[in-house]
Amino acid sequence: MLQKSISKAALFMVALVVLTTIGIEIYLRTHGVEISYDDGPPLWSDKRAMVYEPVDKSVVFIGSSRIKYDLDIPSWESLTGCHAVQLAIEGSCPRPALEDLANDPAFKGRLIVDVTEGLFFSNAPSNLESPSSNVKYFHDRTPAQRASFELNRLLESQLVLLDKEGFSLNARLDALELPSRPGVFMMPIFPLDFGRGTFERQQYMTPRFMADTTLQQKVIGVWNFFREAGKGRPPMPAEALAAIFQSVKDATDKIKARGGEVLFVRTPSSGPFWMGEQKSFPREKYWEHLLAVTGCEGIHFADYPAIDHFVCPELSHLSPTDAVVFTRHFVDILHQEKGWKFPKLP
Amino acid sequence: MVFNSYTFIAFLAVILVLHNLPFSWKTKKVNLLLASYIFYAAWNPPFILLLWLSTVVDFFVGRALYTQEDPTKKKLLLIVSLIGNLGMLCFFKYGTFFLENFVAFTNAIGIDFHPAEPNIILPAGISFYTFTTLCYTIDMYRKESKPVKSMLDFSLFVTFFPHLVAGPIVRPPQLVPQFENPHAATQKQMLDGLLLLSLGLFMKVVLADGMLAGSADAVFNSTDMLTALDAWSGVFAFSGQIFFDFAGYSTCAIGVALCLGFVLPQNFNYPYAAIGFSDFWKRWHITLSAWLRDYLYIPLGGNRNGVRRMYFALMLTMLLGGLWHGANWTFVVWGGLHGLYLWVEKFVKDGRAANATEEDVVANMPSQWVRFLYALLTFMLINITWVFFRSGTFAKAWQMLESMFGMATEGKALLTSIALLKIVIVIPAMVMAHWLMRDKKVLDVAYQVSWWKLGLVWSAMILLLIWAQESSSSFIYFQF
Repeated sequence: MLQKSISKAALFMVALVVLTTIGIEIYLRTHGVEISYDDGPPLWSDKRAMVYEPVDKSVVFIGSSRIKYDLDIPSWESLTGCHAVQLAIEGSCPRPALEDLANDPAFKGRLIVDVTEGLFFSNAPSNLESPSSNVKYFHDRTPAQRASFELNRLLESQLVLLDKEGFSLNARLDALELPSRPGVFMMPIFPLDFGRGTFERQQYMTPRFMADTTLQQKVIGVWNFFREAGKGRPPMPAEALAAIFQSVKDATDKIKARGGEVLFVRTPSSGPFWMGEQKSFPREKYWEHLLAVTGCEGIHFADYPAIDHFVCPELSHLSPTDAVVFTRHFVDILHQEKGWKFPKLP
Repeated sequence: MVFNSYTFIAFLAVILVLHNLPFSWKTKKVNLLLASYIFYAAWNPPFILLLWLSTVVDFFVGRALYTQEDPTKKKLLLIVSLIGNLGMLCFFKYGTFFLENFVAFTNAIGIDFHPAEPNIILPAGISFYTFTTLCYTIDMYRKESKPVKSMLDFSLFVTFFPHLVAGPIVRPPQLVPQFENPHAATQKQMLDGLLLLSLGLFMKVVLADGMLAGSADAVFNSTDMLTALDAWSGVFAFSGQIFFDFAGYSTCAIGVALCLGFVLPQNFNYPYAAIGFSDFWKRWHITLSAWLRDYLYIPLGGNRNGVRRMYFALMLTMLLGGLWHGANWTFVVWGGLHGLYLWVEKFVKDGRAANATEEDVVANMPSQWVRFLYALLTFMLINITWVFFRSGTFAKAWQMLESMFGMATEGKALLTSIALLKIVIVIPAMVMAHWLMRDKKVLDVAYQVSWWKLGLVWSAMILLLIWAQESSSSFIYFQF
């Protein structure tokens, strides 16, 4: 092949790549797929860097997936006039993030901690891994990683196909759910429509998910899978539980000592899921004890008629429309009962 | 900055534009030098001071070494350079390792010594640029090449961003003359460079990170005894991962340099098609092997001082080569195992050569199939060495070997069908590709096929790169 031919090959390559990319993008968009951001350590770190905003300009949220679905960030920001810095991570325990903020002398702001008991009071490495690695990434990130994040953000905001969890090669291969040998642990796959993510790190269910009970049942099946996997595990020893309470108290004390504020929230779940949680994590032993030990304020959804009646489509997270309602009432409770002040609600 | 990041793509685009503007050659070199510092500082800006220190010291010491006639003073200068370069490497890379071993030793002899745990961060690429500057001062000491005339050229030789962080390890005569005269890529070089960059990124992002890293990590991070299938699959996955990761980096480096009109030496030549271990080391990390041969093995006596001395030099070179890869005894064992393989191979070859005439050698040349089987045997034995390379501890390495050889009575099944499928497809394809390409060059092959076939393969690589969405993970060899 001559030099002229490699030029032809390069042009052919560019044409094929551009046409194929445009084709896939159009296909996905015509099938109703919307932009969803990769919720990895770079995006988390971008939000983590926002915790130093003035106290009246932002509130920081940590927790598990529920607060990511249940807090409608546009509603929060339009009602309060301050940022919601979302640092919660799906399927994880928020304690590493709490300790990170507690050990950061520059953080003196307001913190809301979402409590999903099964995750909050867990010492399982799988529940601690993501928050710990995100915290590490934030503290170690290089100038090059920051620059790459900004460029990636630019591309992700324009291209639907750039969705690692949904459309990457490995995500599509995993979605085949090929049966494996007996004894091999296979992480269940969530339907794509269950969790789409915004740049502010809000998760939401798509209209297709809301309309399709098969998809909802599939997610309920995932919860059942985790419940079955957890069966037979010995209960946490009393000393280990006491150590968790103590570590949380130490962390909240540090934040409060600097003039910060910490509030716990128990977001809604429904149906058999909520019943199971009540049985496994009696309120007196966990929620009430947490508030008593730390001396922090708390909002439990079951205590407020305005937010105690939601039916979660897959038993554990609010639908996008209910998230708007929940957020409105949540802001009301914070303002009126807990005395929190916001730029728009002085 | 890593090659597999958006930042690097933008960075390269800016550099290519600047390099092709009608500036003077000196201005272009200053641009390249500043770009190289930005490339390096994008990791951890303070470590650029080490790079400057190393550059300045070795530039002046190198010149003094070349002109100094007094043998004592000359040796003293060489010692200054060795202490400067190796001292820095030892502190940052081996400081913690030495301290841990010292503590273990003192505790073993009954002294209760527990120092504070050091918190030393390894500067990216220190092992590579130390070897680059060391070979310059040693060459100056031996008067094997002339000192670099300008500080700008020497700084660029040390810092040139394509090779700075993970090689290829370049020698002054390979790169410095290219800085002396204006260089800009021809259209052919530019396209060749882009093709190599695409291939390198494909190897790293799609094959190493996308297809193999997950399985290798799962197996080597597991604390359980595994079934033989899982253990072998994990080792195969790692052997593929480390090849695609490191050869991918080298291919990117060579491609990027070519886009700027510079030629870097080849670093990999289908190592899994090697027939025997001396052949393997002529194909795997070629610039390091050559460095160790010229600056360690030969000064240790090489094969000039009898068989015993040769075996000693060979083993010591491999042990130190192992330690160069990481501050852990497992790397030393990895090097030692390669040394042992080389011993056995040398012993067998010498024995055969002593009893054979030239006609015998020609008459007994093995068939292609037999040679392929030898290559497979070499590949399998190299896989055993990767167990020590990848395992963080000897306990883990032993656990892996027990699992691999069926000594685990109740091994756990770990890898999913999809993970096994990836390994089953990628690894045999990799070995076959190495065998078929054994005596060829990738660019020669690219020029032999029709433009549309090359275009199809090229677009498949780019589309898979986009599809993989695995950008920005670090290269394994950065930690060495």
